[in-house]
Amino acid sequence: MDWIIWLIPAFPFLGFLLNALVVRRERDAGILASVMVGLSFIATIVAMVLLEQAPAEAKRLTWTLWEWIAVADFRVAFGLLFDPLTAVMALLITGVGGLIHIYSIGYIHGDVRPVRFFAFMNLFVFAMLMLVMADNLLLLFLGWEGVGLCSFLLIGHYFDRRSVPPGINPSDAAVKAFVVNRIGDAAMLAALFAIFTNFGTLSFYDNPQLGIGGYLDQAFVVAGETVDLGAFGRLPLIAGITLLMLVAVAGKSAQLPLYTWLPDAMAGPTPVSALIHAATMVTSGVYLIVRNHTLFEQPASAAPWVLVIGVMTAFIGATAAVAQLDIKRVLAYSTVSQLGYMVAAVGMGAYVAGMYHLLTHGLFKALLFLAAGSVIHGCGGQQDMRRMGGLRDSMPATFRLYLIGALALSGIFPLAGFWSKDEIIAHAWFAARSPLAAILLILTSAITAFYMGRQIGMVFFGRPRDPALHAHESGSTMRWPMIALAGGAIIGGLINFPGLHWLNSYLRPVLQEPEVIYTLGMGVLATITTLVSAGTGYLGWKTYARDLEPRIRISKDDPAFRYLGDLWRGMEIGWGLDWLYQRVFVRPYRAASIFLSQVVDREGIDGVLVDGTAHGLTRLARGLRLLQTGYVRTYALMFLVGVIIVVAFFTLRG
Amino acid sequence: MVPASYYILLSGLLFTLGVVGVLTRRNALVIFMSVELMLNSANLALVTFAMTRQDVAGQIVVFFVIVVAAAEVAVGLALLVAIFRTKHTTDVDEIRALNG
Repeated sequence: MDWIIWLIPAFPFLGFLLNALVVRRERDAGILASVMVGLSFIATIVAMVLLEQAPAEAKRLTWTLWEWIAVADFRVAFGLLFDPLTAVMALLITGVGGLIHIYSIGYIHGDVRPVRFFAFMNLFVFAMLMLVMADNLLLLFLGWEGVGLCSFLLIGHYFDRRSVPPGINPSDAAVKAFVVNRIGDAAMLAALFAIFTNFGTLSFYDNPQLGIGGYLDQAFVVAGETVDLGAFGRLPLIAGITLLMLVAVAGKSAQLPLYTWLPDAMAGPTPVSALIHAATMVTSGVYLIVRNHTLFEQPASAAPWVLVIGVMTAFIGATAAVAQLDIKRVLAYSTVSQLGYMVAAVGMGAYVAGMYHLLTHGLFKALLFLAAGSVIHGCGGQQDMRRMGGLRDSMPATFRLYLIGALALSGIFPLAGFWSKDEIIAHAWFAARSPLAAILLILTSAITAFYMGRQIGMVFFGRPRDPALHAHESGSTMRWPMIALAGGAIIGGLINFPGLHWLNSYLRPVLQEPEVIYTLGMGVLATITTLVSAGTGYLGWKTYARDLEPRIRISKDDPAFRYLGDLWRGMEIGWGLDWLYQRVFVRPYRAASIFLSQVVDREGIDGVLVDGTAHGLTRLARGLRLLQTGYVRTYALMFLVGVIIVVAFFTLRG
Repeated sequence: MVPASYYILLSGLLFTLGVVGVLTRRNALVIFMSVELMLNSANLALVTFAMTRQDVAGQIVVFFVIVVAAAEVAVGLALLVAIFRTKHTTDVDEIRALNG
């Protein structure tokens, strides 16, 4: 029966094939795509039931279809793995993914390329499922690249649109996301090579069908080995592998210093942002670390760096979110920041807390994006928050749903974000004993609440600022998925509710993490965090719905710019990383490209080699043409000269 | 008896006349005649050598040349007639379609 796990990715792949090759009508495409993800969801549930029956000491289902690659010692199975960790990921992907597919039927209605859209959405779900279900790193890498490709294709869904500067064209945003991810992917490949050369296998665990050993069980074997870096001394092997993985995570999960692609990825349709750039793809880095946690648990690993990167990303992302004026860019930076939380959690070894936040964040951030999509849809494609205002009256349902998402994200008791976020903060303070990280995370939480309050205030309160905007509520195909996600955002905390620890005990076969013992201190910490967040959230709302509201002008700077000046500008441009990369990488690269294309290629290769040969031959031919006069006399004369030469030759030779 | 070198000189003279005729004359018919002159100068040289060497092979070759020349004249005159019908001229300077 274990083969049933193959059905989980098979359904979306079938949906992709049908949508890509057969389906022509928008309605059919949407329904087919949603049904396929729904079937995949059901298959996941069935697989989870089967998993329950597996013996406790080997809590995993595996099924290998064939031996993918077999070259000498290099053996890779084309096999899937379904263990509790995979199960929660697959449940999130197919569950939230299914809801977003249904929502998309309403959102994408009347679009120019609806069938293409649904085909790629299905392909994305397939690739994402391959990523989390792969039983070896190479197959995981296939999914890893697959989701990157779908991300590229879907960000560029409106590839023919041109946006007004400083906005980025969708096609450019797609290329940027792809290129920035390449850095991480190169590191990922290097990590793959390092693991194969040192462990002799890429399988996570033993593959019983093919008899391939797993590398995760023997992480301690190479614990003492080091790599020679020449002048830079020697690096422990484990540190090298985990650092490479960290770079891969920074690319895919939008961490410092590679997060710049994510805010620009918002050029894609909003359901794409919800599914790929909030709930699933960007969390695959977190999944990668959790899956390889035995490597990161080695004393020499780069886990402390993971923590540092995570905390810094959380803080910097949150500050950048405060100053955004585009409704989706706020959420994008917020996603960067929340991913920072998850990475910080797995960096300090709180894998369950990281997964917990991954799941709850998947629910409420998807909700926020879908609600933002509903706002954008209702406002006829408008994304500028300065042009909104007062939408509470025209879009009451969307407002309520947005509020639930915002409260959950801000970590307000008792919504989902409160439980998962405070578990990470508590772990940082008490278990990891890193007050600095904890304080930064609490500050981040406060800033998070502030920017969500600001956004709610700007979008839904105040006066309608743009008379051209005729906001209307979205239809029911868009509303019901949001209501389902809102339900998740409210009660999602139950997944790992203190005292029940469902997620913890469910993931124990994979992570072997002890239950958190709750102390009074944790309660105090959570209370402080929540009170601070509630305060800053109210402040953000009050500032932008009341105090500064009259000074918000269309096409003018945010009113806070007057008070904060350059600091505000820095936050607005995401602390200038884009600016820096533009100067350090993009412009020199472009200059080199222009030199190579204009000078080397056009002048050198084209001019001298290709055209030069042609011109030389033409000139030669033009000279030879003169011999061909057409006068019989000339030919006869040449004949005579030839004869004289031949006769002279033989005569003179003697 | 006239020395053989006189025949050879005459043959050379005739050949040169033929060459000059081919190179300088514009009328195709005259060029033709010049070619015939060249052929016959060669014939003269051949019979001269046949005589001096007392070998009949040279005379046999001359008969061959005469036969071939007759055939060549037939083909050449036919070409000339065909050219005259299409171009209405026998001036070879007018016929230069192969000019590059």
